[in-house]
Order: sequence, then C-alpha cells, then structure tokens
Amino acid sequence: MDATVLGAWVATGLTLFIFSFLYKDNPLFKLAEHLYVGVSVGYTIVKAYDTVIVHLIVKPIFEQGEFALLIPVAIGLLMLTRYVPKAAWLSRYAFAFIVGVGSGLAIPRTISSFILKQVEDTVRPVLSLAGGDGVTFSMNLLNPASSINVIIILIGVISVLFYFFFSIEHSGPGKIVARTGVMFLMIAFGAAFGYTVMARMSLLIGRLTDLIEFSDASYGNPTLWLAILTVGVLLVLSRRSSPGEQEK
Amino acid sequence: MTFSERMLKIDRRIIFLVIGLCTLLPLLYPVGLPIKISSEVRGVYEHIESLPERSVFFISFDFDPASKPELHPQAIALLRHAFRKNLRVVTMTLWVSGTGLADQIVTQVAKEMGKENGKDYVFLGWSPGNTAVIINLGQNLYKTFPSDYGGKPTNGLPVLDGVQSLRDVDYMVSLGAGNPGVEAWYVFGKDKYKFEMGGGCTGVMAPGLYPLLRSGQINGLIGGLRGAAEYESLIGQKGKAVAGMDAQSATHVAIIVLVMICNLFYFSMRRATGRQSQVGS
Repeated sequence: MDATVLGAWVATGLTLFIFSFLYKDNPLFKLAEHLYVGVSVGYTIVKAYDTVIVHLIVKPIFEQGEFALLIPVAIGLLMLTRYVPKAAWLSRYAFAFIVGVGSGLAIPRTISSFILKQVEDTVRPVLSLAGGDGVTFSMNLLNPASSINVIIILIGVISVLFYFFFSIEHSGPGKIVARTGVMFLMIAFGAAFGYTVMARMSLLIGRLTDLIEFSDASYGNPTLWLAILTVGVLLVLSRRSSPGEQEK
Repeated sequence: MTFSERMLKIDRRIIFLVIGLCTLLPLLYPVGLPIKISSEVRGVYEHIESLPERSVFFISFDFDPASKPELHPQAIALLRHAFRKNLRVVTMTLWVSGTGLADQIVTQVAKEMGKENGKDYVFLGWSPGNTAVIINLGQNLYKTFPSDYGGKPTNGLPVLDGVQSLRDVDYMVSLGAGNPGVEAWYVFGKDKYKFEMGGGCTGVMAPGLYPLLRSGQINGLIGGLRGAAEYESLIGQKGKAVAGMDAQSATHVAIIVLVMICNLFYFSMRRATGRQSQVGS
C-alpha cells in the first residue's frame, strides 16, 4: 500500500469519524478529535524545534561562531524561570522586553494603517486640500467621479461612532443618529454572517469533494468501507446505550 | 402542539441531512452555473497579468490544513498564473502548522508547469516571530532566511537575483486564514516597505478586509472558495473551486429557504400565542 492510498484511508476515516458527531457524540469522534489535537501539537513542536533550536540557534552558534545570538537565547531562557518560584521574578525582564518591543512595533504601524489611512479614505472623497484655499468641499453628486457610496460610508462611520459614544444620552436627534448606527452595525453583522456561512459550506464542500474522490476503486473504496464501519459502530453504540436510556 | 411548534422543534439532524444532500448532489451532478468575476479578484489577476517576465512575485501561504478547502484552490490558481507568466516566484509561510502543506502546493504546481527549484521558484519555509519576520524581510531577506526549506543557502539562488529585501518585490500576495495574514503583511510590510500588495483570505475574514481594499491599501482580494473559483475562471484552468460553486449555490439557497421557513413558523407561533392569551384574558 503506497503512501497516497494510506493517506486517502486515513483522511476518509477521520473525516467520517468527525462527521459522526452530527448524529451524536461518540468514541469515533473523540478518537478523531484527540488525534487532530495531538498531531497538530506534535507537528508544531517538531517544526519549531528543527527550525528554531537547530537551524537558528545551535548551527549558527557552533558552526558559524555567531555568539551574539546568545543574548536573545538568554532572554528567552529567562521565560523558563517561571517554573522556579524563587527565580520567577527574572522572567519579568523577558516579558518586559517582549511587551516593549511588541508595542513599539505595533502601535505606530497599526495607528497609521488602520486609523489614519481609514480616516483619510473616509474623508478624502468629500473634502480636499485645493491649492492655498485650505480644506474645500469637493463632493458633487452631479460629477460621476463622486459616488453616493462616499456619503453612505460617511454617514455609517459617524453614526456608528456616535452609537458607541456614551457620554451623552441618546435622545432626540441623538437617538436617530444612534439608531442609524445600529442599522449599519446590523447590516455589517449580516454581511459577516453571510460570509461565515459561505466559509463553513466551503469547508463542507472540501471534505465532500475528497470523500467523492476517495470513493474511487483505485484507492480501494475507502469512503464506502469506512462509511459502513462508521454507521455500524454508531448502530452498535446506540443499541448498547438504549437499555440504559430506557431505564432512565 | 401546533404544526409551527413541531417544526421549530424538528430534530436538527434532519437539517444536517438536508444541507448534506444539497452539498453532495451538485458535486455528483454538476449543473455549471455561471460565475461572475468581481472587480476585487480581477484586481489581483490584472496586476499579475501586467508584470513583465522574470518579475519577482512573493506569496505567503499564511494558512494551515484547517483552511485548505478555501485557500488551497486560491494558491494553486495563483501559482499557475504566475508560472505561466514566467515570473520568479518566492514563497514562504508565517504559519508553522502550514509548512508541509505550503511545500506540497509549491512543489506540485512547479512540477506541473515544468519549473525549476532555485531558478524559477523558491520555498523559504517558516521562520519564528510572526510579524517580526515581515519586518526582518523588509530589511534583509538573506538574514531572515539564510537557507530555503530544503536547506539550500538562499544567497546566490538565481530566483533571488537582485532581491535584497521586500522593497525589491514587484508584487506580493498573502493568502491568510487569520493572524498573521493579510493585515499583518499590510501593516508591517507594505505600509513600511512600499511594495504593491494583494490578498487572498477565507470567507470569514473577507468582510474585515474590504476596508483595506476600498481605500486602496491592497489592490485586490480573493475571498473564500468563491474568489478561488473566479480566479480559476480568469486563468481558464477550472479546478476544485469551480467544481464546488454549484454546491455552494445550492446550500446557500437551502439556508435562505430554511431561514425564511423558520421565521414564518416563529411568527405564526407568536401570533397564535398572542391570540390564546387574548382569549384567556
């Protein structure tokens, strides 16, 4: 049996075992679930060990004499002092380093990319800096380049921001703006939910496509045999559990 | 118990069965519904199409096998397009659990298109640090990845000729299933090192990336299996994504019908309860 055929049997079996949860919780599902967790963690540990410890630390230090690497290694090792209560305070230096560097890198870039650029894009089509006149209102619905979407987006941004502004009571005109914000939020949640459904269905399509492919005789019909096995096991388990349930 | 109440308490396994059948039947008996190409997918396609031969095309496969059904067809279609255009393809991943899958995708498509490792393409593998890797790549590619996934030194590889950092990349696409992914590549890569960038993502992530697309921060977006099907149609090589579109449409119709029926039963039950309470009082 070559690796492709073996892989087809394993993939088919695990897919069907996971799908069996749709009928009810059972040992086959648990087996597949635990295997998934175990294999994922095992794979990650092995890859991380090989890439980080072997290729980025041991080899450069011992084969190329890059002793400067001992500094990050020492900082990293300080993390492990968490396991020694008396020396646990040393780990704070490592955490401080990570938090400091991480925040320093992330905060300016995030503000630039997600706040300033987005504010600019929201306002730019409506207002423009023209020559020495300062800020001018450049939106013109009669101009085909000025899209009505710009106004909709602007209303959406302002109303949603106002909805999350809790320092004044949402009453009178404020209530209308806040309600408009809620409507925009609902539309956004609806769009996100629609995409989520699409994504989940895509995953189902992916698995079913593989099951159809692996039902081929060249693989030894794993879909057929393993479906029979799964259904059989579920039947046996439901018969076994039936008397107990009846007593209950 | 009224009919509406009985229907609202229907065994959920019946609904699973309906959805399962709506997915399975179109896969077994495809109809071939038309696929309309969206401007966001066309954005990525047209940019790659406009690149001259031997331009440097950088792809980051930021996903693992859990997102394979959506992002694998995107990756295959993008690589086929890039290899057909004779671009130099530089690939990597920010997800350690996706390393094997990414290697398999690159090797498979390169073999299919007759491309040579090291000359036409390279898979750099994975490096720890998430977003820090992107920053390092922007400073020096060879220090971030001294060797490729196969252990070959990157310095001197013909595919990387003239490439020192991300600034020398002509076009970059991140196929992301989460974080780090498209957003991280924009924030720590494109925004800082100024290269042209597109994105591919799972359906769940797509609504969150549309603001980046609209503002021109990324020039195209391939969203989910649907996006992959559009890209397959654009390059004229229909694959698994196009095959799945009939099933996708059928399940969407089924879900819409189920939501409508559920609401009908819910409102009719509420009306009946209202009447009963009026009669009681």
